[in-house]
Amino acid sequence: MAIRINPRFIDDLNRYGAEDVQLCYHCGDCTAVCTHSDEIFNFPRKSMRRLQMGLERKIETTLEPWLCYYCGTCSDQCPREADPGETMMSLRRWLISRYDFTGIARQFFKSIVTEILAVIGIALLTGLFLFYYGYTQGSITVYDGDGAFLPSSFIHKFDLLVGLVLAVFLIINAFRMWYFIMIKGTSFNIPWWLYIKYIFTLPWHFLTQKRYAECEIKNEAKIHMPWIVHLGLMLGYVIMLLLVMVFIEKLQYGPEIDWRVHIFGYLATVGLVIGTIYFIRNRFNKTKYVQYKKSHSTDWVFITMLFFIVLTGIAQHVFHRTGLLELANYIYIIHLMFVVPWLLRMPFSKWSHLVYRPLAMYLAAIQRDVITKREVISESLSISVK
Amino acid sequence: MRTGIFFCQVEDGKSLNIDKIAKYAANLPGVETVQILGMKPRLNAQTLCDLIKNNQLERIVIAGDMPGYYKPVFTKAMAMAGCNTDEVRLASFQEHGAQGEVALDRAKATVACANMAVPFALVATPTRNPVNHSTLVIGAGIAGIQASLEIANAGKHVYLVEQTGTIGGHMAMFDKTFPTLDCAACILTPKMVYVGQHEMIHLLTNSKVTEVSGKPGAYRIKIRQRARHVDVDSCVACNLCSEVCPVKVESEFDSKISFRKAIYIPFPQAVPNAYLVDGENCTFILTEGQKCGVCLKKCPKECINLNEPDKDMDIEVGNIIITTGYELLDVGKIEQYGYGKYPNVLTSLEFERLTNSSGSTGGRIVTKTKQVNKKTGKEEWSFTPDGIPPHNVAIIHCVGSRNKKYNSYCSRVCCMYSLKFAHLIKEKIPNVNCYEFYIDMRAFGKGYEEFAERIKHEGTFIIRGQTAKVEMANEQMIVHGEDIMNDKMVQFKVDMVILAVGLVPAPGTEYLSRILGITRDSDGWFSELDYNGNPTETERGGIYVAGMCQGPKDIPDTVAQASAVAAGVLGSITSGKGIGHLSSVSLSDIEARAKIIHTL
Repeated sequence: MAIRINPRFIDDLNRYGAEDVQLCYHCGDCTAVCTHSDEIFNFPRKSMRRLQMGLERKIETTLEPWLCYYCGTCSDQCPREADPGETMMSLRRWLISRYDFTGIARQFFKSIVTEILAVIGIALLTGLFLFYYGYTQGSITVYDGDGAFLPSSFIHKFDLLVGLVLAVFLIINAFRMWYFIMIKGTSFNIPWWLYIKYIFTLPWHFLTQKRYAECEIKNEAKIHMPWIVHLGLMLGYVIMLLLVMVFIEKLQYGPEIDWRVHIFGYLATVGLVIGTIYFIRNRFNKTKYVQYKKSHSTDWVFITMLFFIVLTGIAQHVFHRTGLLELANYIYIIHLMFVVPWLLRMPFSKWSHLVYRPLAMYLAAIQRDVITKREVISESLSISVK
Repeated sequence: MRTGIFFCQVEDGKSLNIDKIAKYAANLPGVETVQILGMKPRLNAQTLCDLIKNNQLERIVIAGDMPGYYKPVFTKAMAMAGCNTDEVRLASFQEHGAQGEVALDRAKATVACANMAVPFALVATPTRNPVNHSTLVIGAGIAGIQASLEIANAGKHVYLVEQTGTIGGHMAMFDKTFPTLDCAACILTPKMVYVGQHEMIHLLTNSKVTEVSGKPGAYRIKIRQRARHVDVDSCVACNLCSEVCPVKVESEFDSKISFRKAIYIPFPQAVPNAYLVDGENCTFILTEGQKCGVCLKKCPKECINLNEPDKDMDIEVGNIIITTGYELLDVGKIEQYGYGKYPNVLTSLEFERLTNSSGSTGGRIVTKTKQVNKKTGKEEWSFTPDGIPPHNVAIIHCVGSRNKKYNSYCSRVCCMYSLKFAHLIKEKIPNVNCYEFYIDMRAFGKGYEEFAERIKHEGTFIIRGQTAKVEMANEQMIVHGEDIMNDKMVQFKVDMVILAVGLVPAPGTEYLSRILGITRDSDGWFSELDYNGNPTETERGGIYVAGMCQGPKDIPDTVAQASAVAAGVLGSITSGKGIGHLSSVSLSDIEARAKIIHTL
């Protein structure tokens, strides 16, 4: 079977953040020290090797990069300072751009200018549209009820529209990921019932991020800060997304807000505030964790935008509750100007690992099942031959 | 002659102050214009031609690291201007050794010579000093011994200075040498005895060089000889003093895996074969004669004098040979292997002493046994002759070598001695499993590759992939690694781990480089004059390096280099031409001589 080699793959990956792959001399330290590396899925050394050899198609169809949660132990211990952890991270970025059928992700990862221009463009479009809409049918001084500047029923529809676009992109990309890994990258047949057998891994990994916690065991710390904060941040924005997508009309209606919605809103806000501040601080203060030493431009765009979304969201809430309705409306538009590009950017950025990670765990569990069985069979065969 | 001087830098000349050289050049006779063209200038022959015409230049001097690079464009410009194209002169800083302390003066001198169209080499000939026929050798390992013997056998006097109580160095600690598996002691000890008895070798053990002055061919050296407290000539090494001595200290010679007394002989074959007193641990010396002193009473020859003072001596030598060797990297700072944490993780030198038949277990390879110290009540692990032999041994290569955090260089000998260890273990313990974890097998010498193949065929498991860590689970050590060839993760339960630790320069290297005025490379090893053509000389005349102190090398290479050093030293002594060195030539000398040649 012919294997295609892309000799410029390693240079290409430079743009995604992996700069030192060439330094690796394959001592295997990283693989041996990794918590998640095992007989069936061993990395990062193997990925480094494939990268050096330019086996683009091979990497495209593997799950390994998704099984790494970047605890940084491998990079810490690497004798060549080849930074395998960052390489896995870059491979994830590259894979996101491969799964994305539009090619937008590739442009975003490669050029910060393109990304910022796209974000600003969409933000301006959103802002103009909302202003136009608000002035034609309402008054800037009214926040909710009749004649509201941005009535929640309209925002609800608007949100659902954005959500729909998001979902279309993500579902197609996830489908492509499945196709790459399970059809192109798997040489054996996978029985359909395994897909049902392991379906529980999807919500399990999505909600607990158990493997991220396992990563931290290595560091022998009692509290796994990056995991807890990451989980808090993730749950925060998932809850917030649900609130905004489904319960927005309850969220914005009058002075008497349903306390159930209220509680969740505040919890999510706490998670988001702590999360964004924690990650921004770590990315500035590079000494504490290896995984935050190098920040790709897309990381910064993601975290700063999220930070402003949280800020404007809180401000909007405060102004709304204190009766400064005109200000609340302005802030609301600014808030949405951040939210819309941020959401639309999601399928083309690292943020989409929200979908890919659990999916990868799910597919990995299936593959592992098949491979272990096959190995048992082949071993028993070889014994009987002997 | 109207001259234009152009400075063209190729490398970032941080070490050279171009402005100063340019100022100097502007004051040279006949200089019309001095221009600094900067880093890697892009020159145009037409503009240069205009420049030459405007200034009516008759001669061009291109000065810089690699001025030859710009010669064609200047030659073309000269031709275009209708001048003599032979008058494009080069002042090459790099070629004429403008480095280190003399860099600025040397660079000025090259410019001055080029300005007068006098070849630099013709002018810069050092005055040669007559050579003192004595030689100083610092460090009495195999390199020092070999060099001393070569010189002494030629009938010239040698002072051999050694810091410890015996000569022999690291080679005396080894059991076997690779790849021939010869007994190291059988090669070394006859040489040591020969050194001890040689009439032309003045052996100074327990000594340190404290001061060096003078010039090549006539160095004045101050040596401080620490008191041995035992008369070398009358001591018969009967061991009675050591038996009664109450002080127990970790033995340096045994890599601290066994104990010695405060009055001791490093090993039975030591040269000089006499005991010595460790002044830092002897109770009598520490209490200034208040306590102890039992050895004094016990000695049948009355050769112990615990009040002996340190001695200072001045000697004059013509040449100095540095053979100070190496030490092991402090492996305690590489945490993942658990050295210092788990008892049966050994460094290579510790294992070398363990397997040596003169070691504390008599050559039996055993694991450490736990003993409770009666005084402190603490658990202590030590090697005893009746210990349990290991069933599984892991040998880990490249510990601290080829690692950007510790030593970025390859220590060159580890692969081979690790294979040798595997052989020794297989030879001494039946049914033992030996695992070698390597990254790249560097079997570079004559017979080495064959040796590696032989060890593989002996049944040692040779695994490509470095061990990431050593763990302890239920009193059992486990090594984790990746078997790259078989694409598998491996975990082995082992009883003993041997770390092939990287080598670093001996602790006194920095001190010696300072007092001798010679440079070291970025890794700390002494720099030689020219790696290929002049591997033993240093930039100071009459000072040579040999053996490990110049860079990691195996015993054959060390011995070869030591002999080569001896040839250089003997050459300087017997040629009668004396030693001169460019570093002794000053700028004013060069200027004056260049003027004389120029007027001729």
